[in-house]
Amino acid sequence: MATVFSQYAWLVPAFPLAAFAVLTAMGRQQNRTGGWIATIASLASFVVALLILIERMSGNADDYNGSFDWLRVGGTQLTAGYEVTNLTSLMMAIVTFVSLLVNLYSIGYMKGDDRAAVFFAYVSLFVSSMLGLTLSDNLLIMYVCWELVGVCSFLLIGFWFQKPEARAAAKKAFIVTRIGDLGLLIAILLLFWYMPGHALDFSSLHNVFGTQSGLISTSLTTLIALLIFLGAAGKSGQFPLHVWLPDAMEGPTPISALIHAATMVAAGVFLVVRTFDIFAAAPAAMDTVAIVGAFTAIFAATIGLAQNDIKRVLAFSTVSQLGYMMLALGVGSTTAAMFHLFTHAFFKALLFLAAGSVIHAVHTQDIREMGGLGRRMKTTAWTFGIGALALSGIPPLSGFWSKDAILGAALDDRPWLFVVGAVAAFFTALYMARLFLLVFAGKPRGSAEAYAHAKESPAVMTVPLVVLAVLAVAAGFVMTPFQDWLGPWLSGGGEKEDANGVAIVVSIVVSLLGIGLGWLIYGGRGAVRPDVVSSRLPWLARLLERKYYVDELYDLLFVKSLGRLGQGLRFFDEVVVDGAVRLAGSAVSALGRANTRLQNGQVQTYGLVAIIAAVILVLAIAGRRFW
Amino acid sequence: MLEDIPVLSLIVWLPLLGAVVTLLMPKQNARLLRWTAIVFSVVPLVLGLLLFASYEPILGGGAYAEHGTWLSVPLNAEAWSASQGVTSYRLVFNYLLGIDGISLPLVLLTGIVSTMSALATVHIHKRWKTFYPLFLLLQTGMYGVFLARDVVLFFIFFELTLLPMFFLIGIWGYFGKEKAANRFLLYNGLGSAVMLLGFLILIATLGFSATQTAGGVELVYSGSYDTMLANLADPNAAANAGGAMFLSGNLRWAAFILLLIAFGIKLPFFPFHTWMLKVHTEAPPSVVMIHSGILLKMGVYGLIRFVALLFPGQIDSWAPVLATLGVINILYGAILACAQKEFKLVLAYSSISHMGIVLLGIASLNETGFEGAIYQAVSHGLISALLFLIVGSLYERTGTTRLDELGGLARSLPFTSGILLTAGLASLGLPGLSGFIGEFLSFLGLFDTWKWLTAIGVLGVLFAAVYVLRGVLAMIHGPMQEKWIGLKEARFIEALPMVALTALIVLLGVYPSLLTDLMQHGFDGLLKELQTRVGG
Repeated sequence: MATVFSQYAWLVPAFPLAAFAVLTAMGRQQNRTGGWIATIASLASFVVALLILIERMSGNADDYNGSFDWLRVGGTQLTAGYEVTNLTSLMMAIVTFVSLLVNLYSIGYMKGDDRAAVFFAYVSLFVSSMLGLTLSDNLLIMYVCWELVGVCSFLLIGFWFQKPEARAAAKKAFIVTRIGDLGLLIAILLLFWYMPGHALDFSSLHNVFGTQSGLISTSLTTLIALLIFLGAAGKSGQFPLHVWLPDAMEGPTPISALIHAATMVAAGVFLVVRTFDIFAAAPAAMDTVAIVGAFTAIFAATIGLAQNDIKRVLAFSTVSQLGYMMLALGVGSTTAAMFHLFTHAFFKALLFLAAGSVIHAVHTQDIREMGGLGRRMKTTAWTFGIGALALSGIPPLSGFWSKDAILGAALDDRPWLFVVGAVAAFFTALYMARLFLLVFAGKPRGSAEAYAHAKESPAVMTVPLVVLAVLAVAAGFVMTPFQDWLGPWLSGGGEKEDANGVAIVVSIVVSLLGIGLGWLIYGGRGAVRPDVVSSRLPWLARLLERKYYVDELYDLLFVKSLGRLGQGLRFFDEVVVDGAVRLAGSAVSALGRANTRLQNGQVQTYGLVAIIAAVILVLAIAGRRFW
Repeated sequence: MLEDIPVLSLIVWLPLLGAVVTLLMPKQNARLLRWTAIVFSVVPLVLGLLLFASYEPILGGGAYAEHGTWLSVPLNAEAWSASQGVTSYRLVFNYLLGIDGISLPLVLLTGIVSTMSALATVHIHKRWKTFYPLFLLLQTGMYGVFLARDVVLFFIFFELTLLPMFFLIGIWGYFGKEKAANRFLLYNGLGSAVMLLGFLILIATLGFSATQTAGGVELVYSGSYDTMLANLADPNAAANAGGAMFLSGNLRWAAFILLLIAFGIKLPFFPFHTWMLKVHTEAPPSVVMIHSGILLKMGVYGLIRFVALLFPGQIDSWAPVLATLGVINILYGAILACAQKEFKLVLAYSSISHMGIVLLGIASLNETGFEGAIYQAVSHGLISALLFLIVGSLYERTGTTRLDELGGLARSLPFTSGILLTAGLASLGLPGLSGFIGEFLSFLGLFDTWKWLTAIGVLGVLFAAVYVLRGVLAMIHGPMQEKWIGLKEARFIEALPMVALTALIVLLGVYPSLLTDLMQHGFDGLLKELQTRVGG
């Protein structure tokens, strides 16, 4: 079938890139109009992405590929190119849609900020590089965009640069994700030298690892897969590289929505999906992905129970949900992972933007100082509630279907991982119930003045909330156990995932149990006191609140020891290496003084050396025969 | 058209003409002197760009080569018996200039960085009439180094860079300038002596040629690089055939190690690096731009031109040594850069780390690695020139570049801070900017043979993120101190080179073929030689 729109796919990242260029060139004069420039650019991208998506959904369109020579390595030409497949078209639609809403919302949120134009420039570059990552047809260009995504998130997390916390969080995000990036870089080096013809494009990877398996040994495949996963774990906040993601809350809230829903963290999952053939050929790597994913899911969910910052709770929920996606990949279901990424994009963007609306109104992020806000901010409360239910996995909201797909896949593959996932789902429902009830229900606990001033946000902020709420409800219907449309489309026909009754029942039950327990504790009836755990097991509450002391451990293991090593080497460099030089230097100048008694001064050292050299020249030419 | 004029000579000597012109100008008129220097820096750059536009990698630079005999010293011909029919027996000093895919990128770099540095000399506040002639003389030296095709000529140009540099540091530097200038001279003088020794071995062996003429045989010793390459490839050449001019294995090793040390000091590699720390901190920033941007690259160029290309056998067996040295440089420099409190020292140690990557590229002994080494040299030249340009502008306003005394400058100097952040990101190897390509090619090249060493070296990329962000963010982000409120943003003449360098860094990062296509065929001879070694 003819591809009309697919060949213009390069326009999708080009629009936001142009917006970035315009905003950067214009500078701060664009503070008022900057938001609209960025929004119009992302609208244009969204329209093109949507047209491509529709084109691809309407029939079995061929994959489209366009490329040009980029870099000559030895005798090999590396190309830069883009590729439109069902997977990339879906991802582009998600990214452009969420970024459009985030841009629109930010017009309201960033109003009055004197660096608003810079903000929108960064957002545009962020979106553009994420789209480049999505579209790229080979691993090297993907890596380029991958790093650009990282640097943009660094810029936006540190956007309010005068806050020392923001500076620290930005630095941490960049450095921690870069640990993962090293893995990906080494994986690319390995692939370059072992792939036939130095090919790095995804279709060659598919051919070599998917169909002609055996060309590259299993142990090497495992190594490559694990290195790629290291990169994905860094970006997607998987344990033990999750530490940057909660701190990333220091950025403006719309950015949190963007990072957590569509751009930064989704990149890791997308990378594994794109290179899935390598993983599929390495069972040990698959085990690792599944176990790390499941562990991250439950680990972050338990931390989410004990956080008091509204955005931090959501941040740990993101870490946990990304764990689910990795779990899905580890048990071999790319469809379930992409499906969850798809639904999660909507309800997590919704939750963050609604949280931003709350913060905008009460100027605090501490849920202990909120309460009763549901009466003052009806739209925000309703939409947040829908997002929370979707995340908790209540049918028929979107999160239920996608989480069920993952749990079903896990049950088929490794039942014990299913149990871990189900327990994590229980915690998820519990912390979301806690969050919702503490913020919107009950009596106001903060200052009366703040409560009195709290009012609903302007339409430019609430309209995106409503749009996202509708999608958070409806997005799941593209792939239900009864009507699976997404699966065959993404995987190109083939097997259909069977509905698993056990998984459905269990996931509904644990979600309801979680919400029920939350209601008992935080519902205001006093059925269970909130300090039921912290009064009996204070160490456990503290352990969760301090996030299992992972940050402290890293600080001790890496930050402090690097500092000490640096100080030690500094001493070595100044005293030993330079000392030896000074010693040699004074010896030479003593010699120089002895030989140039007639003249004093510095330039003569040079003269001396030149004369000695000239003497050597003469001697050498004259005496060449004796060598 | 370019072939018809002595374009290479023009590039080399125009700055010297500029030096003479500035000497004839009134000494109070700083503006006139400065603009004269800028014009005489721009013209060679334009010539270099024209060369770049018309250069065909497949043809090489033969059409532009310039030959001339400069000095011919008769030697004692009686050493040869009459029966051999020797008609003349001479030591010839040639004036040979040439260009190829290895030197052209560095000539362009010299032109760009010199021009930008000339613009940055607005921060020189005294003795202009001494400064600008030295500044222009330095340029002649640098162009000469990259264009000379005769080891004697190369050596003279190499020395020609030392003297102006010594005065530029010693007169216009900061508090410890005399000490820094002395340290600079001591080390480089030592390097030169060692280099000369190495070159003499080359002249006495590879530089010997016998030409059959109608009257008899002409015997000539010269420093001609092309003669050396030809002799090296010819198994019947005197240098390979035994006898007086035989370049024995031991001699090869001696010359190899001498030249390795000579250019290693310039690069610099551990443990010969301490001299450049002083230069980085004490010299005026516009001079450090040239020092870090171009002069260190003479080390890279020398390593490739004279060490790798002339001694394939030696470098082949010493590749692991070089690779290890490279990794030590990368990590040692990077970790020390993380521990500095002065931004200029962060940059100095980061240069050591980045030059380690160049060593990795050279040690890989394949085309990818060599290209990576040159790319990294060019890219690091642009990036460190930009960083020191900014350092100069900041120091002019704040009087300090200590990390603990600055902070929050992005509030009062948003433009300069933005450029500084971009330069920092380029320095830590962000894809899309030029630093990444050089690193990637070097790592890629070395990875083919030394996987574990490369993997350890890649850690340097992580440390680079640590020290760059630590240093840059400490200056531009965080709370701003009271006294930095109301600093004036960069003037036009400061902003111009900042934007130009940033644009080039982006261009080379986005479209690397621009430079890699140029280097094609630059290493054909060496690669063939290495191939036969592996095969045999």
